[in-house]
Amino acid sequence: MRPALIHYGRLLASSALLLLVVITVLFLLLEIAPGDPLQAMLGDAPASEEFRDQMVATFGLDQPMWQRYLTYVGNVLTGDLGESIVSRRSVTELIMIRAPYTLIIAVIALIISTIVCLVLGAIAARTRRPWLDGLISGGSLTFFSIPNFWLGLMLIWLFAVVLDWLPASGANAHGEPGIAWQYMILPIVATATSQLALKTRVMRSSTIEALGQDYIDTARSKGLSSDRVLYRHGLPNALLPMITIVGLSVGNLLAGSTLIERVFGWPGMGLLMVDAINEKDNMVVLGVTIVMTVMILIANILTDIVYGLVDPRLRARFTRSGRSAA
Amino acid sequence: MTLDSSEKLGAARTPDGDGTGPGGAADAAAPPPAPRRETAAGIFFRKPLAVFFLAVLAGMVLIALLGPVFGGDPVATGNPSMQPPSSEHLLGTDHLGRDYLARVLHGGRTSLFVGFSVAALCMTLGVVIGSLAGFYGGIIDIVLVKIIEFFQAIPGLVLALVAAAILGANVMVIIAILALTMWTGVARIMRAEAARIAQLGYVESSRSAGFPRWRILASDVLPNAMPPVIVTTTMTVGTAILVESGLAYLGIGDANRPTWGSLLNDAQPYLNSAWWLALFPGLCIFLVVLSVNLLGDALNDALNPTIGRVK
Repeated sequence: MRPALIHYGRLLASSALLLLVVITVLFLLLEIAPGDPLQAMLGDAPASEEFRDQMVATFGLDQPMWQRYLTYVGNVLTGDLGESIVSRRSVTELIMIRAPYTLIIAVIALIISTIVCLVLGAIAARTRRPWLDGLISGGSLTFFSIPNFWLGLMLIWLFAVVLDWLPASGANAHGEPGIAWQYMILPIVATATSQLALKTRVMRSSTIEALGQDYIDTARSKGLSSDRVLYRHGLPNALLPMITIVGLSVGNLLAGSTLIERVFGWPGMGLLMVDAINEKDNMVVLGVTIVMTVMILIANILTDIVYGLVDPRLRARFTRSGRSAA
Repeated sequence: MTLDSSEKLGAARTPDGDGTGPGGAADAAAPPPAPRRETAAGIFFRKPLAVFFLAVLAGMVLIALLGPVFGGDPVATGNPSMQPPSSEHLLGTDHLGRDYLARVLHGGRTSLFVGFSVAALCMTLGVVIGSLAGFYGGIIDIVLVKIIEFFQAIPGLVLALVAAAILGANVMVIIAILALTMWTGVARIMRAEAARIAQLGYVESSRSAGFPRWRILASDVLPNAMPPVIVTTTMTVGTAILVESGLAYLGIGDANRPTWGSLLNDAQPYLNSAWWLALFPGLCIFLVVLSVNLLGDALNDALNPTIGRVK
């Protein structure tokens, strides 16, 4: 077998294992949650006697724990995330409606923050003007320290309450379906800013490190212009760690979406989860967690693939060990 | 807590100054620093920004500790409601006519307590697991690294949210959950440092002198590995406060002990009319986290001058 195939096979297997572990942890959390499991699943929602019996039968609560565990895992793996206690709808369906809202904010914020962080980080690392580096570094540390949900609240206060330029919450005018662009601006700004702060810090130190390597001195001593050294030798190497950071930031984005969507009343997965937590609609909470975990795992796998495509050293390792194995 | 961090700074300076000299005596009394080398504390205190934010952090901690003494009663409702900041109520009053300054001061206690506790737990877990993995190597290393990798790969923030939501609103539970999802940073750095130091000359000479391994670990490896560990731990305080306030903002937390995050949660419906309710708790979180992060950066420059900036 080709080593690249083995590598990705192993990655896929470990991702699947991790998903299984997350599902197990969630299952155990529900088991040890205070109160009996039926109550935990029902939450505070009022339930009739027949509905309780129906629930006991549906979830097999009279069965031993391991059997219920297997049923739960089987259901999740076939895409059945259970039923919402509050709205009586399929959790999978609820999430499918909400996921696009979360993804559109996440993707736009990810693209904007990545592009801007590369520029700012490289400028901060290379500039000879101390004030410019200080401004960018200080600014990124400052925004790195701001709780981004509070930043969101302040943005609403400034742009929606004081200036009245942008709508405060929701995805569209009341009752209208879909998304209007004015409603997207503030959530994207709040999300992108905190992402940008972290990534700019990493990009700056990554560029400084790349520019300190011996091959940079070699390139300079060959007589290359400093711009060419930067674009041809410095930046490509500085960008490699950024691939990992951008991949990892997907987890932050998704977890952060709970906060940002709560601030802006943005009807995505995060808000679905927050509402479900408040209503103790545990099947929805678990469902969103599982979907978010799957998204994070997919992002990790994509990161690994991109890294393998971009970094010639990794490619070389694959082919070399392939030859030695053959 | 401020005393604590300056103690750590002093403790860390000793092995740092000692690390360049002949080893084996790191557990002895602090030797005088080499005359030509600037001490870590010297580098640190030369930065006006670092000193300023150390003072800010110290002030916040002091205020949070002493707040209940002079800050007034956070649940007394006798005042007129929804008053903007004035000389009588420095931060105004909320919708129930409670003095907001008192509420913000009380909120700070829990937020800071969570932040420092989580960081302390992370450091303990990280140092123990990281040093065992890095110093002993072999099968212990393989197993512990797998554990670290696992905790790194799970979507910690999302799981923390769910676990806190399901397990209930107890400060201790939240501290435990946050520590469990955040300790890997310290562990990874500790492991790398322990593995590096285990190769150094002074460890070898201790080994040839016949010291038992645990003794070498405790007296040579651990003290010399501390500088980057302290920097990472400092950063953890900030992250923990941010995550805790986020959880509290979502309504996950002890309802009887409001933190800055839950004050923001309560403030949101009044954003139209009472800006001060949303401004001040957030400003407090921001100031504390910024101070902690700046301290971490300054400590990093002071303790690891050759490594450059981590993170």
